Amino acid sequence: MKKRQWTGMWITLLAVVMVLSACGGKTTSTNDGAATEGTGSGSASTTLTIAAATDIESFDPHNNNNTSSEAVLVNVFDYLIKNDSEQKKVAGLATSWDQVDDTTWRFKLREGVTFHNGDPFTSADVKYTLERVAKDETLKQNSYFKNIVEVKVVDDYTVDIITDGPDPLLLNRLSKMGAGILPAKYIADNGFDAFLKQPVGTGPYKFSKWTKDDRVELVKNESYFDGEPKWNEVVFRVIPEASTRVSELLAGGVDVASSIPSTDIARIEGEADKKIVKAPIQRVLQLIFRQTEGSITADPKVREAIDLAIDKQGIVDSIAGGAGIVTRTSVTPGNFGADPSLYKTSLYDQEKAKQLLQEAGYAEGEAEMTISVSAQYKEQAEVVAAMLEQAGFKINLDVLEASAFSERYSSKSFKEIFMIGIGNSLFDASNNYNRYMLEEAKGESDYNNPEVEKLLQSALVNMDPAAREKEYQQVQQIFSEERPAVYLYQMEGVYGTNAKVNFAPRSDEMFYADEITPVAQ
Amino acid sequence: MGKYVLKSLLQIIPVLFIVSLIVFILVRVTGDPVALMLPETATAEDRAVLTQALGLDQPLYTQYVKFLGSAIQGDFGQSFRYNQPALELVLERLPASFELAVAAMFFAVLMAVPLGVISAVKRNTFTDLIISGISVIGKAMPNFWMGIMLILLFSVMLGVLPVSGRGGFSHLILPAFTLGVGLAAQMTRLIRSSMLEILNQDYIRTARSKGLGRMVVIVKHAFRNGLIPVVTIMSLQFTSLIGGTLITETVFSWPGLGQLLVVAVNTHDMAIVQAAVFVIAVIVVVTNILTDVAYRLLDPRIKYD
Repeated sequence: MKKRQWTGMWITLLAVVMVLSACGGKTTSTNDGAATEGTGSGSASTTLTIAAATDIESFDPHNNNNTSSEAVLVNVFDYLIKNDSEQKKVAGLATSWDQVDDTTWRFKLREGVTFHNGDPFTSADVKYTLERVAKDETLKQNSYFKNIVEVKVVDDYTVDIITDGPDPLLLNRLSKMGAGILPAKYIADNGFDAFLKQPVGTGPYKFSKWTKDDRVELVKNESYFDGEPKWNEVVFRVIPEASTRVSELLAGGVDVASSIPSTDIARIEGEADKKIVKAPIQRVLQLIFRQTEGSITADPKVREAIDLAIDKQGIVDSIAGGAGIVTRTSVTPGNFGADPSLYKTSLYDQEKAKQLLQEAGYAEGEAEMTISVSAQYKEQAEVVAAMLEQAGFKINLDVLEASAFSERYSSKSFKEIFMIGIGNSLFDASNNYNRYMLEEAKGESDYNNPEVEKLLQSALVNMDPAAREKEYQQVQQIFSEERPAVYLYQMEGVYGTNAKVNFAPRSDEMFYADEITPVAQ
Repeated sequence: MGKYVLKSLLQIIPVLFIVSLIVFILVRVTGDPVALMLPETATAEDRAVLTQALGLDQPLYTQYVKFLGSAIQGDFGQSFRYNQPALELVLERLPASFELAVAAMFFAVLMAVPLGVISAVKRNTFTDLIISGISVIGKAMPNFWMGIMLILLFSVMLGVLPVSGRGGFSHLILPAFTLGVGLAAQMTRLIRSSMLEILNQDYIRTARSKGLGRMVVIVKHAFRNGLIPVVTIMSLQFTSLIGGTLITETVFSWPGLGQLLVVAVNTHDMAIVQAAVFVIAVIVVVTNILTDVAYRLLDPRIKYD
């Protein structure tokens, strides 16, 4: 009897504790849940919440090197020149620009613009900003700007930017991260550390709060020069785990979620008020070959056989969930120098691949090679390897953890092939091709073609856009024959959104908050 | 007791010295941060400049002496990624991790104490079997899987709890529960066996034969002694909770030390890895000292010289 009482007591106690904790949870969560919904994107509220996989590195636009940082920072800092959603150059903080001579460009600045702290924007800010990033070699963006020798202040609203030689890419550089205009006076008065804690720009949104690896909160800049911004508040949340990001979208905690895994596309599309939107991004997945003498991939027949053995569309459909565009060039439309004839097309002919391999003198399984790849593209690499083996190659797949891959990459110590997705933040063919110039190719691909060298060297300093474009197109035609690399596909950014916002993703992966609009309800 | 604490505190120094040396070497032989910092299009010259600017071209021992010299003054170097003092970044994250660890511990104790005591008191019965079954499942379930399942159930389907991030109390429930379950399973087993052992002791029999009520015997005599191993496991688990909540913090986007460390390792942000491991080491050592003190308070027979 006594024993039974005892047990009963314990069980009651346990039950009470459980109910209490459950209740406690529920009441608070209901309150919180309501609050979250409110800040989500109700028709009354005007907060835009965007979830990305990685956090920004800092509010220093000169010392950041990832796209997800720039995607946030473009809302706080303006460039002299902006890229519109089609990558055309439009006026930003500069209203017009002219080339004075081969090494000098003159910019007229917009008048009446103020920084978030009320300081007026003038030539002095441009001089401070661009000379800082051009001269401080420890800044991560320095390599893009070091050819700027000087920024001359002509008057309060006119500057001359002088480069160390003809630079056809100057405008491209000025419209990317690293060219975000900083407040010279504010930084001089308060120091850079204070600036990083309370950053100030001229952009449509002002800094409010940054909790690292959690969220960046921005608020509307009422006095923005280009009209009143659309949202009262913009929140960028960091959610590294993809399944959590998807859940957050489904639960209504975020309006836009980036980098949706292909396996979750159908699940999101199945929800009534959720959408999947895609856009090609500046990244082409490719195999780069070593052509050093003695290397099996030095033989053009072998490289052609590799190209023909891979079913690129098959990889897009199976691994990328359809989010990819096959291409035979890495200079995709929207980039300067693109050759549209090589875009949206690919070669695939297993039988011919087998035949070519035989012609090159290799029997089945004799053509042995190593493909190195960073773990993020492991699945694609596995499929490529399987396709190549089917055509008679023998493939050693070398999957490396990201930092190990980076190290091998910069020390140029890959074997026959490495697989990599290469982006292009300058939107110019030079970014894709400089690696094939004699000096840079040494030790990596050991590619050597005097004709290509001449074209690339010339294009590097050619200030005549039409002639320069021809040069890059010629290089592409040669590459499509010589195959220093085989291109698999241009990747697409996959985003999930809720029905309350209109969002058309950009090819540069930026989130300009004002290009995302609330749906009227 | 005071002397013991002082002695233990002095022993921290060589421990931390060894930890710093091991971490320092590990982060330097495992990869090159410069490669990860620069764009794919950077030239060899760009890399050389940055390597020099970061002092990575110096011999390893010069780097270590420099590191140690500054570390003694509390300067663990700048984070490459955030360009901010690493120690500051790590300390900024501690409250979040601490909050999660305490909440997880709370959940664990709340579940484990009653379950452990019941299964000891009702040993070899059906109830005992059920509780044992639950704890085996709790222990075997991978954290990340359970986290994702809880999110699906409570946030996506029922919509009662937030999915991720750090905010009010409601944000704490799912991650703390996820972390607490594995711990609770372990503690339940421990409390059960420790209670079983004690319930067979002579002094319990004596207490019972004195005619004391069963409840009084269990709570006043048995439970207090049964707590000693529980305190041990709690302290061990608490330190691993602080430093080892990597997966749970990532699943729930909890901005704690674990997530900071994961990102730092991925981006090869050496200063942060060093500072984080150092801070975790300090927490482990201090917790161990506190555990010894707690033993003594629970059982006056334990003496330290």
